[in-house]
Amino acid sequence: MIQVHGLTREFQDFSGGVIRALDEVTFDVRPGEIFGLLGPNGAGKTTCLRILSTILKPTRGIAEVAGLNVMRDPEGVRRRIGFMSGNTGIYDRMTAREMVEYFGRLYGIHEDRLQERIEEIFDILQMHEIGDRLGGKMSTGMKQKVSIARTIVHDPPVIIFDEPTSGLDVLVARKVLEAVEVLRDQGKCIIYSTHIMSEVDKLCKRIAIIHRGRILASGHRDELVSTHRQPNVEELFFDLIRKFDSQQQAETESASSV
Amino acid sequence: MREVRDQLRDRRTLFMITILPVLLYPMLGLGLVEMMLTFSEQHRTVVILNASELPGDPSFLADGEIDARWLESGKDRTPVSVITDQAESHSSPLAHSSGDDPTPHGLLEQAEILAFHVRNAIATRAAAGTVSNSAEIGRQANNDLISLFNESGIDVLVLVPDGYSDAVASVRQQIRNGAAEPAATQSPSGLIVVRNSADDKSVVAFSIVQSALRSWESNLRRSMFDEASLPEALQHPARLQWVEVAGGEQVAANVWSKLFPAMLVIMTLTGAFYPAIDLGAGEKERGTMETLLISPARRVELVLGKFCTIMLFSVCSALMNLASMAITGHQMASSMGGGLTDTISLQFPPASAIIWVVISLLPLAALFSALCLALATFARSTKEGQNYLTPLLMVIMGLTMFCLWPSVEIAPLYSVLPVLNVALLLKGLLLTSTQSGSLMAYAIPVLVSSFGYSLLAIWWAIELYNNETVLFREAEKFDLRTWLKQLARPKDAVPAFPEAVFCFVGLLVLQLVAITWLRPDLSGTEEQRALSMLKLICVQQLVTIACPAVFMGIILTTSPRATFRLRRPSSGALLSAAGLAVAVHPLSIELSRFLAENGVFPDIPDAIARVHRLMSSETQPLWVLIAVFALTPAICEELAFRGFILSGLARGGRLAVAIVISSVMFGVIHMIPQQVFNATLVGLLIGLVAIHSRSLFPVILFHFITNTLALLHSRNMFPLPKGMLFGRDESEQLQYHSPVLIVCSVIVVIACRVMIRDLMRQQEARRRGDLKPYVDKNTVSVST
Repeated sequence: MIQVHGLTREFQDFSGGVIRALDEVTFDVRPGEIFGLLGPNGAGKTTCLRILSTILKPTRGIAEVAGLNVMRDPEGVRRRIGFMSGNTGIYDRMTAREMVEYFGRLYGIHEDRLQERIEEIFDILQMHEIGDRLGGKMSTGMKQKVSIARTIVHDPPVIIFDEPTSGLDVLVARKVLEAVEVLRDQGKCIIYSTHIMSEVDKLCKRIAIIHRGRILASGHRDELVSTHRQPNVEELFFDLIRKFDSQQQAETESASSV
Repeated sequence: MREVRDQLRDRRTLFMITILPVLLYPMLGLGLVEMMLTFSEQHRTVVILNASELPGDPSFLADGEIDARWLESGKDRTPVSVITDQAESHSSPLAHSSGDDPTPHGLLEQAEILAFHVRNAIATRAAAGTVSNSAEIGRQANNDLISLFNESGIDVLVLVPDGYSDAVASVRQQIRNGAAEPAATQSPSGLIVVRNSADDKSVVAFSIVQSALRSWESNLRRSMFDEASLPEALQHPARLQWVEVAGGEQVAANVWSKLFPAMLVIMTLTGAFYPAIDLGAGEKERGTMETLLISPARRVELVLGKFCTIMLFSVCSALMNLASMAITGHQMASSMGGGLTDTISLQFPPASAIIWVVISLLPLAALFSALCLALATFARSTKEGQNYLTPLLMVIMGLTMFCLWPSVEIAPLYSVLPVLNVALLLKGLLLTSTQSGSLMAYAIPVLVSSFGYSLLAIWWAIELYNNETVLFREAEKFDLRTWLKQLARPKDAVPAFPEAVFCFVGLLVLQLVAITWLRPDLSGTEEQRALSMLKLICVQQLVTIACPAVFMGIILTTSPRATFRLRRPSSGALLSAAGLAVAVHPLSIELSRFLAENGVFPDIPDAIARVHRLMSSETQPLWVLIAVFALTPAICEELAFRGFILSGLARGGRLAVAIVISSVMFGVIHMIPQQVFNATLVGLLIGLVAIHSRSLFPVILFHFITNTLALLHSRNMFPLPKGMLFGRDESEQLQYHSPVLIVCSVIVVIACRVMIRDLMRQQEARRRGDLKPYVDKNTVSVST
């Protein structure tokens, strides 16, 4: 469903240098699974997912979503994905229903089908009582619900979650995770980026650990843990990052000594 | 649609657009009326000392007040209270002086002191002619006088000299007796009226007293003339008559024509201002921008949606403001009663003018909406958005102020300048609403160019939306020091975009400075003058254009060679550049002749006209003129514009944009409208040549030949026969006829096509080159 090969993205630094936010990233995600993208802040997770949602353009490499190249057919790709992240806010001056309706129309859903679909989603997410509330007057949990509803209103085959639980309290975060699981069971292809290990343990079968724009390891979660002889994902994660950093430091030192 | 609803829910916007004008103007109006009432109720205090000495027939005072006969607007409407020292002779002396002044006696005392000082001052002034160092004393006395006067609470003091009445009476007596020179026998010192022009209250009171005294005096004069049996016509030897042609409607039109365009422009902008910030920077700030971006809607659709919303708000706000303002003005005028409406009637402008307001509002609103949207998109937060938009507001205000200048009227040049054109057209239309036929000719270029500008602005906004660095500008800290360091430290082969822009601004500033400082020496014979002017032009070219560019090129880049395109050109390139220059010459000559004949541009300023005369003058040898007017500019200007600036602008790979910007800059630096236009067009061609040949030398050659030919043409050096191809105009200037022009345009068009195709190829290559790794891996790992 999602195929990423050799994806590289460079940014022009403000002081004229070049920062490589993504460096030859390669992975693939299949339908009906949740793929965990694991990494500390600033690892390049968001950049990678933004490229997949065609908001950013890659410097090099190939990214395909549902068989469509993100460079060649960005509109088609956007039609087939749902994208939710901490940065995708909702409008303060729209009610939940209007918000979902508005985006449903943007996705070109037929009016009759749209109302049906909204009822359906509001049932699943139990958000009938907040349907007429303005976005600005909602609690964080309610907002998150609206965001999820907005993400799946067009029933996309691919859904991207970029740290959806960051800044949420435990109860709301749990609700979000439940919703993600429901979506997986519907056969969606899901990318889930986070830096919270427990979520990975709960949701993801296959993971990729990303740090400083590079994939340090990717594959089946349990296999990775056992091949690297670590007790759990958390230890694996810190171990990999420590090794990478020390290796890079050594490289820099040798480079400067030469 | 969504956007409109969203904006409507924004209370702040709603307030700004609807509540504010609807409430503000009536409130302002009321406040103004209120203020005027309280203002006029405040009485001015006029003290007349020695009032009993005023002549009795005709008497200036009646019942202790100025007689109503001498007041223009009648006693009731004149806010002056008079205090006289006649008090003793009246039964109820202070009954009609206003109640606010509890101490008229105190005032009178102060008036006495003042009178003493004033008389003293007059005496010193009279004596000043004889005493040498009395100026200082006089000033000292004057200062005392001013402070005394200010403290006294008296606004105007009238001093009647002793024996004034007797003096007047005796003059009359003498007239009756038929004396030849009555004034000579006895000259009574006149009335002294003391006022302080620095004080508004005093000024108001003075104007009232003055007009009253004048009419009193003229009455006195009339009666004296009667007594001397002189014809009454002698009083008005010039027989002036004032005729007012404008009816009430035209006066109204005049008021509106000044007010409407300015208000319209400002209201349209403020109407666009807040929605734009909210829809641009606000969406970024609240994080809804990304939500929008991941919807399948294309960026163009997003921009257009936002644009339409902003424009709707802008138009509505402008119209509501104007309507409210007009209604308030009307109401106010009628409530103020006859006095005011006679002088400035605030009638509505005719319906046709209102329609014009709406029509011209649309392109204006479109332009502002697109501009605001683009700027707001560029901003990272609403606060930053306001920072960007405020300068825009200032610039527009400046332009509007310019329009308010009474002598500025629409002209062909103004009709293609943004904002100005609409405002001036409106001004013209409202002013001459009855016979607007000639203005209609301007309507089309105004509307077309305005729509052109708005399209450009929308295009810019869309470009910004397609630019991910603009959409995702994180809150990077702008630190002047790091920025300067960055300017200085990593030197690249060619200058960067901001450096090029900076260079241009620098050149512009230098040019402006040069205008004031480098004035030609205008003494001596014509030959000397010409020589000094020629020297000056050379110096100006070298100092203000070539040197800064070369200096920046050496300091800021590692490869001045690449920056200034100092490559050996092929002889083919040189030849074709020369050929092209020859082909362009007739076109440019005829184009500027056409434009000049149609009066597109205002007249040439004096200084430039002198330079033009110099170009065709016979006093200097030809080679000197060629060196000054062709060779120097060719080298200097090309080093700057096609060297540093074009290289810098073109660095991003957008060659076409770079050429256009650089040629506009090239035009602007020429300052005079005629040259700006010509230079911009030629600049486009030169830019193409520069990119095509990748070398500066063909460019210099092109510039040199163009200028030389223009020079030779103005000196009539082409011995070409009259006929099919060539002609002569009235001043024996060579004219090119259409066959020549057609051939030349064909050549130019073909050359342009070839060069543009090459430009596109280069641009494509540059873009592809951008995808290659820019820096090798080692530097990356160090820098991260």
